Amino acid sequence: MIKRLLLLVVVLAMVATACGGDGAEEESTTTTAADGGSQVAAEGILKTVQDRGVLNCGVNQEVFGFGFVDADGNFVGFDIDYCKAVAAAVLGDADAVEYKALTAQQRFTALQSGEIDVLIRNTTWTATRDGGEGATFLTTTFYDGQGMMVNSDSGYTTLEDMANTTVCVQSGTTTELNLAARFESGGIPFTALTFDSNDELRPAFVAGQCDGWTSDKSQLAAFRSQNPPADGGPEAWTILDETFSKEPLGPLVRDGDSQWAQVVDWVVYATIQAEEFGLDSGNINSYSGDNAEIKRFLGQPNEEGTIFDPGLGLPTDFAVMVIDAVGNYEEIYNRNVGPDTALGLARGVNDLWTRGGLLYAPPYR
Amino acid sequence: MTVARETKTGTARPPFWRDVKVLRIVAQLVAGAGSVALLWYLGSNLTTNLTAQGISTDFGFLDQPAGVTVPGSDFRSSQPISDILVLGIKNTFALVIVGIPLLTILGTLIGIGRLSSNWLVRKAATAYVETLRNIPPLLVIIFTNTAVILASLPRIQEAWQPFDLFVLSNRELAVPWFTAGDGSGAYLGVLAAGVVASIAVWIWRTRQFDATGTPHHRFFWGTGVFLLFAVVGFFVIGNPYSLSRPELEGLVITGGISNISAYFAVLLALVIYTASHVAEIVRGSIQAVAKGQTEAANALALSSFQRLRFVVLPQAFRIAIPPLINQFLNFTKNSSLAIAIGYSEITLVVFQAIGNGQPAPQLIIILMGAYLLFSLSISLLINILNRRLQLVTN
Repeated sequence: MIKRLLLLVVVLAMVATACGGDGAEEESTTTTAADGGSQVAAEGILKTVQDRGVLNCGVNQEVFGFGFVDADGNFVGFDIDYCKAVAAAVLGDADAVEYKALTAQQRFTALQSGEIDVLIRNTTWTATRDGGEGATFLTTTFYDGQGMMVNSDSGYTTLEDMANTTVCVQSGTTTELNLAARFESGGIPFTALTFDSNDELRPAFVAGQCDGWTSDKSQLAAFRSQNPPADGGPEAWTILDETFSKEPLGPLVRDGDSQWAQVVDWVVYATIQAEEFGLDSGNINSYSGDNAEIKRFLGQPNEEGTIFDPGLGLPTDFAVMVIDAVGNYEEIYNRNVGPDTALGLARGVNDLWTRGGLLYAPPYR
Repeated sequence: MTVARETKTGTARPPFWRDVKVLRIVAQLVAGAGSVALLWYLGSNLTTNLTAQGISTDFGFLDQPAGVTVPGSDFRSSQPISDILVLGIKNTFALVIVGIPLLTILGTLIGIGRLSSNWLVRKAATAYVETLRNIPPLLVIIFTNTAVILASLPRIQEAWQPFDLFVLSNRELAVPWFTAGDGSGAYLGVLAAGVVASIAVWIWRTRQFDATGTPHHRFFWGTGVFLLFAVVGFFVIGNPYSLSRPELEGLVITGGISNISAYFAVLLALVIYTASHVAEIVRGSIQAVAKGQTEAANALALSSFQRLRFVVLPQAFRIAIPPLINQFLNFTKNSSLAIAIGYSEITLVVFQAIGNGQPAPQLIIILMGAYLLFSLSISLLINILNRRLQLVTN
């Protein structure tokens, strides 16, 4: 009920955005409209965030390892670290983040209405979302794929075994669409039970209301790792081998402000580039080498004493602040979801291109 | 004095800017135009802003494939969004059409129980009302789903099958139902004729009673005639309908009539919740019937059942109907809370579509329209009933 109310309020807020006279956001909207949507407004989201002094970041609060509230009430996780990284680059303070926990169904409306500046909530990049939601997807931070989790004693080993089963899935997700597409094209009769949130889905799966739980494999690994011993612990659940979709997850921003999009993009690139350079939170402040590329990346003056500024609207040493605050990609990965965490996910395709992975940052010059 | 005023207004009307009649109409027009202008302004703002953000503002998305399936139906993901919205409305209707009669009966019984002379019944009814009326309906739904369905019923692999007539599991519940055989259409015709005949007999018995005062027994006459048609027709046509028992084969229930357990969880929760409000309305209405009516019934030596059935309840229901409409509407609107446990009624279906990249403003408008349709239809039906039951005072 609260969720529905919130959504309605958001829709109303969209209406009201044009009536009210304050704030820079609607100024940008109207300017964009007048210019045919091609030009960036003078006062974009970057300026708004800097004036406000806090970043509104849309996140998940249910997925351990990615977006989760810990026992002390703090948001922690892979996606959360990227919120902090953006705040560190834009505001110089990784803690200047206002986290807005959103359900899968609320997230796009919250982004469209300007309630949040950036959405980092394990959101899959698809054509419809790019085209229809008024959202711009940015660099993928985590390459994922959809999987199926079943009870270990169920005897299911492939999706083809799962004829006439009921599968639990979160509504308003790409996994819901992939599920229908995969089972229908495979001619496997099934029933999909959809839930508003994972908090309601989990008890249904535990009670055997559904035979399978489908989601991104990283999320399934997260829930599996958190299964309490009372329900059999992680061993009671098995994730099937088959991956039946591509789920590139990354941050996204509102359409129509390319400056802000570039800012968020380059914050992500900075974490990847830092790992490629071998820079991490331990050594980035003490770099004193003479590698011109690294000096440029860190915003250190060259031999002539000039400092490279690519004109992104960020401080020239933003990479230092980002890496200092959250570390490079490897540190973020290993801290939240890596082999030493409860999730225990290997890097796989989420590795640097130099090691055969998909992470590749454009040159910083 | 009256005469004087009449002549005054008749001869010399004040100028139109001071004429109350004119001012009233002008005020109405101004208010109406203002509302339309405001709505138009907000609407065009919404359209402009959405267009600026590259979000479509038309209803062309309704032809797009829905991409999802619906539990408890054979909906395929390639069917368009318009179809899944219709299915959502049907699922809401399935809750309303079963729920409203159930909650009315349960609420009435508990309302009467609140006034019982039996201490235990009275206190039990009070406890029921005071507990359920003060819990948010969402919690009641989550409670019935987790405690009654998930925790109490077995998995479908170990489903209970009492008397081989029912299949009860936390995934699906099934009861026996009729399946049509040869001549089922003709049999439905016979049943319709039976209904017409029993209404005719009812009217005949009522007239008889009005004319001669002999007890009409119209209920027994009416049911008897209908049953006669039903039984004779059944054997003459030769088994037009047979009873199909639900059977569990693997994970699939065949035969009977079945629905997913979430339906029953929502139905149960909202029926017991709304019944607690109905019980209070019924109790209040009974107490609002003048005490003299009860005393008169006692003076006529009517039994306590007769007193309730013929004197008190007919008058109480007349008082109860307007507030009852509110509860029926609340039931309909609360059915949207089914989204929490995954029953695919209209709200869930709409939010599912929004989550899957379809435009929110248009879908929310459709959603509001659907609930308006439900609420206005229920109001209309009950207002007709209300008008029929009102005391004729001329």
